[in-house]
Amino acid sequence: MGNNRIQRPKTPELDMNPMVDMAFLLVTFFLLATTFKTADPARVVVPKSVSNVELPENKVISITLSRDGRAFMGLGDVEARSRWLEKVAGIYQIELSDIDREVFSSLSGFGVPSSELNNFLRLPSDQRNQMQQPGIPIDSTLNELGDWLVMARVVLPRSRVVIKADRLTPYKYVDEIINTLTKNNILRFNLITESKRLDNGE
Amino acid sequence: MENEFYNPIKEGRSAKFKQKASITTDMNAMVDLAFLLLTFFMLTTTMVKPKVIELVMPVPDDEDTEETVVQTIRESRALTIMALPDNELYYYTGFSEAEAIETAYGPDGIRSVLIDHNESQDDPIVIIKAHPESIFENIIDLIDEMNITRMERYAFDEFGDKEFELLSDIGVNL
Repeated sequence: MGNNRIQRPKTPELDMNPMVDMAFLLVTFFLLATTFKTADPARVVVPKSVSNVELPENKVISITLSRDGRAFMGLGDVEARSRWLEKVAGIYQIELSDIDREVFSSLSGFGVPSSELNNFLRLPSDQRNQMQQPGIPIDSTLNELGDWLVMARVVLPRSRVVIKADRLTPYKYVDEIINTLTKNNILRFNLITESKRLDNGE
Repeated sequence: MENEFYNPIKEGRSAKFKQKASITTDMNAMVDLAFLLLTFFMLTTTMVKPKVIELVMPVPDDEDTEETVVQTIRESRALTIMALPDNELYYYTGFSEAEAIETAYGPDGIRSVLIDHNESQDDPIVIIKAHPESIFENIIDLIDEMNITRMERYAFDEFGDKEFELLSDIGVNL
């Protein structure tokens, strides 16, 4: 009976409070520092450059260019997307329902010809995400990208055009995009890169 | 004095209801939750913010005026860089008696060429001609070199017959 006093508790107890403090501190940090990855329609590895100009957050018209030359477009401003679709649908006379517009507004980028846009928006979302999108046509005869671009400028005046191309994209595809831009009088645009340190060769 | 510390629970009930000195809550669940959130944010977050290179293209002019623009540039001022597939790089100076010279990307190659050109010419101009099959990264590397060497005037132009000719003169056939 005398050893009752030194009897150990059945489970060792740890003070979890500092751990909770730390974990929530980190959560708060990540919560504030985070900008969510947007799902790209194609996997793109951007090249590295020594530039340290940061990408402006909003008012961005983005053109994504995959390694095999497929072009995708997207608007940074979610509210403007349905108006954008409306304008382009007017040109190509695409019949769209309210659900289609809603689906389109939720997409950060897309890459289908206008003729397939209807079917594309009506696919179940998992199929749409997995689908290999053919890209927006940029041929000289049928330059749909140009039309999307002009309308994007209409709904989002004074926006920036950014080109996000894969590092291994052949220049001819980049050239097509740049030509489309200059033809539509967009002479100032940005190329997205990842930063790297200056190599001085020392 | 006794009244001041009067405690009805202590007084009225038996020792069964004796209060504990401090309340301990099981924090394990909270830790679980916190780390779950932490993992989620760590995985979804993108830490590296993308950087951009700003390009300003010249106002496109008519086909027939282009020739005159080229001719008004004093020949020695112009340095033309040709980016070829497989990271090959050639350059030539001037227009009429030009000869393609091989170089490479990086500080010992094109950068030193650009620095020399920048120092030897006043108001130098660089024309970048990229072969259709050269990759986008090569172009970015060249723009980088322009920024590093503070080349203020550079332009992009089409990879034309003249370039193919100059290259085949020195035995490079594409």
